[in-house]
Order: sequence, then structure tokens, then C-alpha cells
Amino acid sequence: MVLQILLLVGLALFSVMAILVKDLLKAAISLAAASLLLGIIFFRMNAPYAGVFEISVVAGLITVLFMLTIALTKGGDSAESKVASFAFPAFFVVFIVIDALIMKKLIQKVPALPGPEEAGTFGQVLWNTRTLDLVGQIAVIFAGVFAVLALFRKGDKKDE
Amino acid sequence: MNSTWFLYMFFTAVLLFTGIYCLLTMRNLIKLFIGIEVIGKAISLTLVATGLAKRNVLAAQSLVVTYIVVEVSLVAVALALIINIYRKTKSLDIRQLAKLKG
Repeated sequence: MVLQILLLVGLALFSVMAILVKDLLKAAISLAAASLLLGIIFFRMNAPYAGVFEISVVAGLITVLFMLTIALTKGGDSAESKVASFAFPAFFVVFIVIDALIMKKLIQKVPALPGPEEAGTFGQVLWNTRTLDLVGQIAVIFAGVFAVLALFRKGDKKDE
Repeated sequence: MNSTWFLYMFFTAVLLFTGIYCLLTMRNLIKLFIGIEVIGKAISLTLVATGLAKRNVLAAQSLVVTYIVVEVSLVAVALALIINIYRKTKSLDIRQLAKLKG
């Protein structure tokens, strides 16, 4: 449990770093590190498939996409508000205190609704009970592909 | 729900706060999108933690896998939009978008 808490703290720290670091490349790498830690947390929570997807797709593919965008746009030229970065630690500490107090009050007060325990393998659950999700995933992937194609199509010479 | 679930919810709330703070205060479009990604991580953690607490990890995992696929499509489209916005305005400042007229 101690290791799990350390991993969760690391996840929160890397996420905070991802939004506070000025260099966008470092922010993207921090986000990848947070994803890696989340993947390890999933493995330790008996969810290996979610962990594999998190590490390979989110920590790998999405980070590459972020880096590609940062390289193509040179990070832009917008300066972040300094007040926002300096005020964050204060807000963060206040939020953590409130969060801890609320969670402490709520412990054992939220009932776990009874439900049937699941049986079978991940493949059976995914293919038999979540079939429509898979159809939706295919639709979403196609929608994404066509949207990217539409956004990067070459304009007519008349338009330019 | 057991106390472990509350521990996960505590960290989920921390991630959510971080992401929402980023969305409210940052100006760079890529930074804003990193904030959305952080919120996405909170959602994934909530799904698996609740699945674990209710002994339905397999269903939670399949939901997380679905979410990740949707997330990839979302990221691809959003980053393509960001590149197009940069080509038009030569800036990634969110305030520049408010000046656009259609």
C-alpha cells in the first residue's frame, strides 16, 4: 500500500509539473511520466489491460503527437500569467486540506451498492457485454481520421 | 465503499483540481490541452478504482480501454486544430482567438 501511495503522489506531482513547467517539451515529458506511473498503478490494481493501453497509447503515442505539435508550432509565443503560477501552490495546499477533510468525513459513509460479481476473462467481458462500445470505438476512430484529413487537406488555389 | 477507494478519490480530486486550474488560468493552447489530459487521467483512475472497489475490474478495464481510444482520436483532432490555428494566427495564445471574426 505504501508503494501505491508513493506512485499516486508521483502521479499528482508529475501532473502538477506538467502544467507549471514553462517549457512545453518538458511539460509533455512530465505528462508522459504521469501516464507511466498511472499505468503502473493500474497494473497493481489488477487491471493489466488498462495499464498496457495507458503506457503504450497515452504515454507513448499521445506524447509523440504532443511533441510533434510543439515542434511544428515552436511552442507559440504566448506568455503565461505569472500570477497564476505563483498562486498555484497556495490554492493547491488549501484544496488538499479541504479534500482530505471531506474524504475523512465521508469514509464509511458512502454505501457500496450490491451488484453481481463478474466472472470470465477480459476478452469475454469486452466482446460479450461491451460489444456496442467496440462499434462506437470504430466510429470514433474513423471520425478522428476523417477530421484530421479534412483539417490538413490542401486548399483550392482560388481560396488562397 | 472501503477506505482504499477514498484514497483513490482523494488523488482523483487532486488531479481534477490541477487540470481545472490549468484550464482556468493558462493561455497557451497546448498547455490547456495538457490540462484536459490531466483531467482524463483522473477519470481513468476513478473508473478503475471504482471497478476494484465493486469487484468489477474487468468491466472497468473495458471502459478505460474505450476511453483511451476516444482520447487518442480527441488528441489527434485537437492537435490538428491547434496547428491550423497557429498557421492562421502565428500564435498559440487563447486570447488571440477572441479577436477572430467570422
